[in-house]
Amino acid sequence: MNGNQVSSGTMQNELIEKAKQSSRLTKNDIRKAWLIYYLGAELSSSYERLQSLIFCASMTPIIKKLYHTKEEQAEALKRHLNFFNTEATFGSMIQGIAIAMEEQKSLGENISDSSITGIKTGLMGPLAGIGDSIIWAAIMPLLIALFIPFAANGSAMGGIMPLILYPAITLILSYGLINKGYTVGRDSIITLLQDGKMKQLIYGANVLGLIMMGALSANYVNLTTPLVFSTAEGTKVVVQEIIDSIAPGLLPLLAVFSIYFYLIKKGPRYTTILISVVVISVVSSLLGIL
Amino acid sequence: MSTLMIAVCMGLYYWFARLRFGYTLSAMLLQPIVVAIFVGLLTGNMPASMIIGAGMQLVYLGVTSTPGGNVPSDPALAACIAIPIAVQSGMDTNMAIALAIPFGVIGVFVDQLRRTLNAIWVHMADKHAEQANMGGIMRCAFVYPSILGFVIRFPVVFAANFFGQPVVEKFLSLMPTWLTHSFEIIGGILPALGFAITIMVIGKKSLLPYFIGGFFAVLYLKVDVMAMAIFGTCLAFLIKGFANKEDV
Repeated sequence: MNGNQVSSGTMQNELIEKAKQSSRLTKNDIRKAWLIYYLGAELSSSYERLQSLIFCASMTPIIKKLYHTKEEQAEALKRHLNFFNTEATFGSMIQGIAIAMEEQKSLGENISDSSITGIKTGLMGPLAGIGDSIIWAAIMPLLIALFIPFAANGSAMGGIMPLILYPAITLILSYGLINKGYTVGRDSIITLLQDGKMKQLIYGANVLGLIMMGALSANYVNLTTPLVFSTAEGTKVVVQEIIDSIAPGLLPLLAVFSIYFYLIKKGPRYTTILISVVVISVVSSLLGIL
Repeated sequence: MSTLMIAVCMGLYYWFARLRFGYTLSAMLLQPIVVAIFVGLLTGNMPASMIIGAGMQLVYLGVTSTPGGNVPSDPALAACIAIPIAVQSGMDTNMAIALAIPFGVIGVFVDQLRRTLNAIWVHMADKHAEQANMGGIMRCAFVYPSILGFVIRFPVVFAANFFGQPVVEKFLSLMPTWLTHSFEIIGGILPALGFAITIMVIGKKSLLPYFIGGFFAVLYLKVDVMAMAIFGTCLAFLIKGFANKEDV
């Protein structure tokens, strides 16, 4: 019995050793794929197939290494030219999974074309959702907002800091995620996505984002009225003083909320809003309201 | 530096930033506060350039964060034209923003043109894939879109900077006060658009009280932006557990 245990133990070790050897991709191959995707994620984006071209291009170092006949390579390349689009920071996780699947397939594992495409298209939506709300709606405006006061004082640091920090943060994140995707595979990604921690992270980032938008609105939206009425007794009524006596900053707050609710109701019609702001400003300047 | 050189450099900058080389790096190169550094170096007037950049940035704060990669407005085109002209002719921030806005809108069409034409390279890549020509696919993903980008982007910024400044200066000298005051109002209201878009992108109406809290914390308690970020981060960590109680 004791001997059996030892032999099954060594057998397991041998299997692990074999598995390690059969993994023909090196860290360097994955790094290449990651870098190509980062550099070109939006460069070749087209309305027809969005990121499919760059995803395929990023897989070329992997495909070159795993497949050796021209037919196999062509098949793999065509597979990755299918429609693909996601948020590229979190999307690198999908890349990691796709790399792992290609590797298994090249080792003779029964993985069909459609299962690789299926995983990619299945995960691109949820990961784009997470990536957009963390990378683009939280980290980016927060980083810029944090250093705007430096820029407003005329310091170049206001631009230099976000220019360094934003790529640095997202590069570290996407490098971690492609390796995570490669090692843990799709099943654990799905559990990870459903994990409460991800929800908490997004929630926390959203709360911080809203607090910062509030603080910045108070600092930078500037709206006062010069209106003054004279009563019959000759006393002057300064409208802005009355508004301020209720609460400071009510007009700027009104401006933000009017635009916000318009956006919610009518969708992102930025041009309409821009034109309206210009018209309202010119008219109220002529009438002396604002 | 001569107007010609500045126009050439700004054209090249706009091309490179809008190339989107480096996913998040290029996203920052597009921002007015980063364009302002480059303008500051070219014109030798860093403070004026950064101050105008900061003002313009507020308008475009939330603009790049739209899902799907469609630009609703192009802060880079606005900044690459309005900041250099404003710095060279000594305009104030509000007027520079008013000058910038039409260009921001034009930029949308330029990008739509690029993404429509980029479909050519995908079809070319399809053919390369048949032949297992990986070098060809890499060229389709990087080289051809870059050349196309140069052709459609460089001329716009170059021409506006080269021919625009005298026109703008002439216009400024003729402007009546009601019009300059209109620009002040526009500059005061437009940052509200940047914030409203960001709130919309965050997309949770139930969290709006945090926005109002942040707003009045500044007005009543006189908290500055960096302090607000610190307190806000602490608060975010303390209450993140609430996430599970509602549907995200």
